[in-house]
Amino acid sequence: MIQGVQTPLIQEEEKQSALPPVQLDQFEGPLDVLLHLIRSQELDVFDIPLAMITRQYLDILEAQEEPDLEVAGDYLVMASTLMQLKSRMLLPRPEIDEEGNAIDPRAELAAQLIAYEQYRMLAEELNERPRLGRDVFVRSIFPEADEVERPLPDGDLDALLLAFRAVLKRVGGEVRHQIFSETMSVRERMTTVLERLRAGGMQLDELLAGEPGREALVTTVLAILELWRQQTITVIQSENYGSITLIPKESMQ
Amino acid sequence: MNSDTLQQLTSQIEAMILASDEPLSLQKLRSLLGDEIQSSDIREAITELEAHYQSRGIRLQKAAGGWQFRTAPEHAELIHSMWEIRPQRLSRSALETLAIIAYRQPTTRAEIEALRGVKVSSQMVATLQERGWIKVIGRKDVPGRPHLYGTGKQFLIDFGLESLKDLPESAQLMDEDEIQQMVMKNIEQPGPDNSDSDQTVAVENEAS
Repeated sequence: MIQGVQTPLIQEEEKQSALPPVQLDQFEGPLDVLLHLIRSQELDVFDIPLAMITRQYLDILEAQEEPDLEVAGDYLVMASTLMQLKSRMLLPRPEIDEEGNAIDPRAELAAQLIAYEQYRMLAEELNERPRLGRDVFVRSIFPEADEVERPLPDGDLDALLLAFRAVLKRVGGEVRHQIFSETMSVRERMTTVLERLRAGGMQLDELLAGEPGREALVTTVLAILELWRQQTITVIQSENYGSITLIPKESMQ
Repeated sequence: MNSDTLQQLTSQIEAMILASDEPLSLQKLRSLLGDEIQSSDIREAITELEAHYQSRGIRLQKAAGGWQFRTAPEHAELIHSMWEIRPQRLSRSALETLAIIAYRQPTTRAEIEALRGVKVSSQMVATLQERGWIKVIGRKDVPGRPHLYGTGKQFLIDFGLESLKDLPESAQLMDEDEIQQMVMKNIEQPGPDNSDSDQTVAVENEAS
């Protein structure tokens, strides 16, 4: 995708400066990459050699093995900006501002880079400050005596929203477990099974044949197992995979 | 104030700062000590304390308009191994976003994105908010009424800043106009592509 846009503008063969290979994920965006290229080669930010920088920039992009489209978007916009600037530089007629001064097409980019570089540096300065919980620590024993009346904190919508967000995150909108009331009682079914068996033995298939739906079936099987466990009925299977016969204990006696 | 009274006051303040769960402000100290104690006396006592702890494992740190005892930064690793913790590193994107908000507040997400040249993820903003480092301080009166972000008190506390004025290098920070002027002054007056590397190549060709 990058190859396609690259061809017409940057064909000049320039000496490949020996740049150490870098990975795109080391950078915080296109401005960061450009600053790296400019600073590491000690170039002048006010006089950016566009052709060279654009080629190096695209090289870094192309070295990406699996382009992450979401990240790539910002980088590709910069690639097209660079090429657009390059083409404007090639135009013979300089652009003029309202005071009649010639405008260098690169001015805006230079301003953007300087502004970004400032904050990049400030971020580093902040990071180097001793930070509470990382570099410096406080004693944390705070008696929370109940009898001490603490003033309520001021209402803070922000804090409320944060708390609400935390709750939402925890709940995650998903239902963890659902509790159904037992629509079919095993005990009730045990009585039914016993009643049907009163006449004598019965085949399991026969007993289950009339059950409507999975739930009723499961309940009946549970009822049978429970009756068997209580030794109210006996379960007989005369051969492997053969039919199963249920016989009430009373009728055996 | 004689030296005995000063010593007594210093000792009182020391105890209060140690037992407080947040940086103790001058105002709070005064209200606890009683009105007969002058602010200047409290300051004197604190200067005494600062000097006393200067070379100890505990330092008296000014943060968010108050004073707090903290362990000395050079012992960080010992504390880490004692607590068996590995403190979380902040991503560069979070740091840059925080820096922009700190130095340019109130500012919007769009402004941060323009400065950094990349999208700012909601998750990262939420993380900074959860730490109490940034907060929404209003809405900008432009279409869409975007949130305006600023730093919270916890930012000053955690980064050991007395106030926002205490931010490092803030005096040297250039605003857009200053940058614009600097660029205009320094940038080459363009002919058609006069300063690009293409020309360097051309010159080299002629030479050879």
